[in-house]
Amino acid sequence: MLWLCICLPQLPLEALRARDDGIPTVVTSCIGQSRWVICRNQAAERQHVKAPMNYATALAMCDELKMLERAPNAERAALERLAAWAYQFSSTVVVGEISSRLHEAQQAALWLEVGASLTLFGGLRALVAAIETEIAALGYTFKLGIGPTLEGAALLARAGIRVAVTSNAALRARIGNLPVQHLALSAQACEQLATAGIRNIGLLLELPRDALAKRFGTEMCDYLARLTGQAPDPRPTFHPPAHYDARFDFDFELRNSEALLFPLQRMLRELAGFLRAMDACVPSFELIFEHREQAPTALRIGLSIPERSPEKLLTLVREHLARTVLAAPTIGLRLIAHELVASSARQSDLFSSALQETEALAHTLDKLVARLGESHVFGLQCIADHRPERAWRKARPDEKRSGMAFPERPLWLLQQPKPLQLASPPMLVAGPERIESGWWDGADVQRDYYVLCTDEHAKLWAYRDHERNGEWYLHGFWA
Amino acid sequence: MSANRAQTLEQLAHLCRAGRATGVLPATSTGWTELDAVLPGGGWPLGTVVELMPTATGIGELSLLIPTLAQLSCAERYVAFVSPPHVPFAPALDRKGVRLERLLVIETSNTVDTLWAFEQTLRCNAFGAVLAWCTTTKDREVRRLQLAAESGRSIGFLYRDPAAALTPSPAAIRLRLHANDRGLTVEILKCRGARSGMTVAISPDKHASVRASGSSLQPPASSL
Repeated sequence: MLWLCICLPQLPLEALRARDDGIPTVVTSCIGQSRWVICRNQAAERQHVKAPMNYATALAMCDELKMLERAPNAERAALERLAAWAYQFSSTVVVGEISSRLHEAQQAALWLEVGASLTLFGGLRALVAAIETEIAALGYTFKLGIGPTLEGAALLARAGIRVAVTSNAALRARIGNLPVQHLALSAQACEQLATAGIRNIGLLLELPRDALAKRFGTEMCDYLARLTGQAPDPRPTFHPPAHYDARFDFDFELRNSEALLFPLQRMLRELAGFLRAMDACVPSFELIFEHREQAPTALRIGLSIPERSPEKLLTLVREHLARTVLAAPTIGLRLIAHELVASSARQSDLFSSALQETEALAHTLDKLVARLGESHVFGLQCIADHRPERAWRKARPDEKRSGMAFPERPLWLLQQPKPLQLASPPMLVAGPERIESGWWDGADVQRDYYVLCTDEHAKLWAYRDHERNGEWYLHGFWA
Repeated sequence: MSANRAQTLEQLAHLCRAGRATGVLPATSTGWTELDAVLPGGGWPLGTVVELMPTATGIGELSLLIPTLAQLSCAERYVAFVSPPHVPFAPALDRKGVRLERLLVIETSNTVDTLWAFEQTLRCNAFGAVLAWCTTTKDREVRRLQLAAESGRSIGFLYRDPAAALTPSPAAIRLRLHANDRGLTVEILKCRGARSGMTVAISPDKHASVRASGSSLQPPASSL
């Protein structure tokens, strides 16, 4: 087994927001009576705010500090979304736990078994490069570590050792000189080790285990055994859900749709990763915007052709959002894809230009419909009816048409016939053509149609309405 | 210094020639021999925006494009009408050989949406030609449309007010359309890669030949 650990030191902050706005911000958590900073952004770091640090101290150092309350649920949700995303790189994904302990807040992690994926991705280097590009695009701060055990990989990630360690012996040698602070031990245990003069991991591992157990408890011994591979470390692995349902909770309100695009972009990229893993596409998906008091706003987005490209999905979402009025600021997002369709059928044909054209058309149509509304993008269909206004109707662009023989007709038809008004008498070019029809459906007409030519040499299609005392109406143009 | 300038000029001239030699895109026939004869490449060049400025509605301004639309739609390319002023009448289009399965009508409520929809469809390579009706269009927007047409290798036909003929525009081809007794006259105001200022007469429909003068049934003149 070769484990790749993705360690997310900034998860408490990044689970709550998809983009850093440059304002000094910290995530805090209450422990007992006091409030502690558990995570801070770069702007806060520049003001010398550290994690962990007492919040009162942090405020004293930087008075414009923005504070967010830690939300373990948001972190868990983010980690689950990432697990689904990571499934594209490995079929064995282990989701780490979100610890409520202060010093473990920045140790959220995800593991991928990569030993079996190496050939598929063309070697470790290519796989790591692919993972790094993808996860950076999602907007997470991360550290990677590759080791033979779960805890070993996590330790290498935390220590920032960017070398793949493949055997237990190599792991022992590699971590021997690291200070014990990198281990996932309680702060108290670290202090005790320091007073005992045990500064690096190598020294700790050389001590007899039963003596260690007596002094520091069995928990530490178990951990060291799992770290070095002396004891197995079974953990539940991630199982992909039958349908996708991800959520993103913010700690604050997002008021405009532009700000929503950042979390949306991350969520759609994560969805894309999951779809790649499942070798599937979505024919439609649902976005639910949650508000503090009002009922949530749901947005259903359908696609003409099932899709998984995050860029295409995002353009559609953007168009839909531009047309949607959200009742209140958004405090949470849900992305649901009920149905997944296999994309194997598409891939076999990927290079045929006809298919690419169809896809391009489908995407353009989706964009048009998203922005202009379904009723404003349509095809035309002939109907066998003598009355011009009933001789056509809107049709879906892909609907089948049947051929029909009509007499000579003008290219423009007026939406509504209007009384004919001309500055000077027109010339008669052709006519009359009697159209008498519709007595059976109550919309009967009795008209004589003429082709008229105006002074400007424009040709009009006009009729005399015999049901209205032979009044003249304009009904079209021979454009 | 003068030698330097001469060299620069020579380079420029070379670039111009190179541009002219390779700049002519493949074209699709307009369906009118008279018009094909004067357009570069023998038809509407692919990847360009053509401005059409008819003096009135009903002079044959749409019939001019019907052979192109029929040809493109039968070749499995899509054709879009963006923000047409009236209903494109399906029986007439069908009769003239435009395949309705390949025709899309897009209605918009403002100029911004019209230009946006025009650009989206032009950019999409499934569309062979896009016709749009837009009264106010800025140079910058026409340039954007031109780029969109180039990337989609489609032809954009932009219908504008006759008054627009007085102001310059970056469109590759600009045509003013008038009508007389014999039919439609196409005046070439501008044409990239060909001479401008020519006029071509075509007769888009058969009514011109069956024209009868005088009748007992005179429609009324306006009472205004």
